[in-house]
Amino acid sequence: MMNDETERFEQRLSRQPLRQVPGDWRAEILREGRRAAVPKNERDPDAASLPKWNWRTSLAEIFWPHPKAWAGLAAAWVLIAVVNFSLRDGSPGMAWQYSPPSPAVLVQLKQQQRLFAELVGTIQPPDADRQKRFAPKPRSERVEILMA
Amino acid sequence: MQGGPDLERLYDEHAQALYAFLLNFTRDEADTRDLLQEIFTRLAREPKLLSGVREPRAFLIRLAHNAAIDLMRRRGTRDRTRENFAAEAISPFAPSPDPDEQVFRNEFSAALAGLPADQRAVVHLKLWGGLTFEEISVALDIPPNTAASRYRYGLDKLRARLRPLYEEMKKAE
Repeated sequence: MMNDETERFEQRLSRQPLRQVPGDWRAEILREGRRAAVPKNERDPDAASLPKWNWRTSLAEIFWPHPKAWAGLAAAWVLIAVVNFSLRDGSPGMAWQYSPPSPAVLVQLKQQQRLFAELVGTIQPPDADRQKRFAPKPRSERVEILMA
Repeated sequence: MQGGPDLERLYDEHAQALYAFLLNFTRDEADTRDLLQEIFTRLAREPKLLSGVREPRAFLIRLAHNAAIDLMRRRGTRDRTRENFAAEAISPFAPSPDPDEQVFRNEFSAALAGLPADQRAVVHLKLWGGLTFEEISVALDIPPNTAASRYRYGLDKLRARLRPLYEEMKKAE
C-alpha cells in the first residue's frame, strides 16, 4: 500500500516537464566546440599575414600625409650622421693629447707642485728632512746641545 | 573535421538531459550554458574521450556533475548563498498554462532546491534521467547503495514538503 503510494508520488513528480534547452544554443555551442578543437594557428589562415599588413599600413599612415617633411627630417639625420663620422675620422690626431706624459715631464711637474706647495705653506717637508729633524739622538748628544 | 558529425550527434542525443541536470544543479541559465559549452568543447578537443565508454549518457552526466561541482567550488560562498535562496532562482520546470499545476511546479522547484546538492542530483537522475541506481552510481562516482539511500532521503523530504499540495491536487482529480 505504502509502496503504491510512493510509486504514484514518484510518477507524479517525474511527469513534471523540464525546461527545454534553448534552440539557439545548439549552433553556438557546436561552433565554439569545433573552433576550440582546431589549433589556434590554424583557425585563421590570414592571421599570419595580419601583422605584416598592419606594419605596412601603419607606416603608410604615418608617412603618407607629409612626405616632404619626413624626407627633410631623414636628410637632416643623414647629414648629422655624416658630420659625426667625419669628426670621428679625425680622432687619431686627438688621441695624441691623451697619450701619457713622459717621465721627465712628470718629474718636472712634481717639482713644480712641491715648490708651489712650500711657497704656499700647505705641504709638509719631505720625509727625509722630517726624519732628520725628529730623529732621536743619544742622551749625551742632547746634553751637549743644551750646554752649547 | 575532428569531432564534426559526432559532436552534433552527441549534442542531439544528450544536450537536453545535460541541460536539465545542470539547470537543476546550478539553478542559473548562464552557468548552465557555460558548463554545457565546457563539456562540448572538451568533447571536440578530445574526440576519443568517449571511445570505449559503455554508457555515454552516464559518462557525460559525470563530466557535467564534476564541472558543476568545480564551478560551485570556484564560486565559493556566493553560490552557497545562492543555493540557500534557490527557490528564487530559475525553475528547472517548463511553465504550465494551468495555474494549479504551476503552483505545484513552483513548490516542487523550491522543494528540490532545498535538497542538498548530492541528493538533488540523484533524485534528478532517477526521476528524469531514467537511470538505475547502478547507472547513477557510475555517473556520480558513488556506491549504488549510497545512490539508493540518497534517493530515499531526498524523496522523503520532497514528500514531506509537497504532501499538503499533493493531497489537495489528488482530491481535485
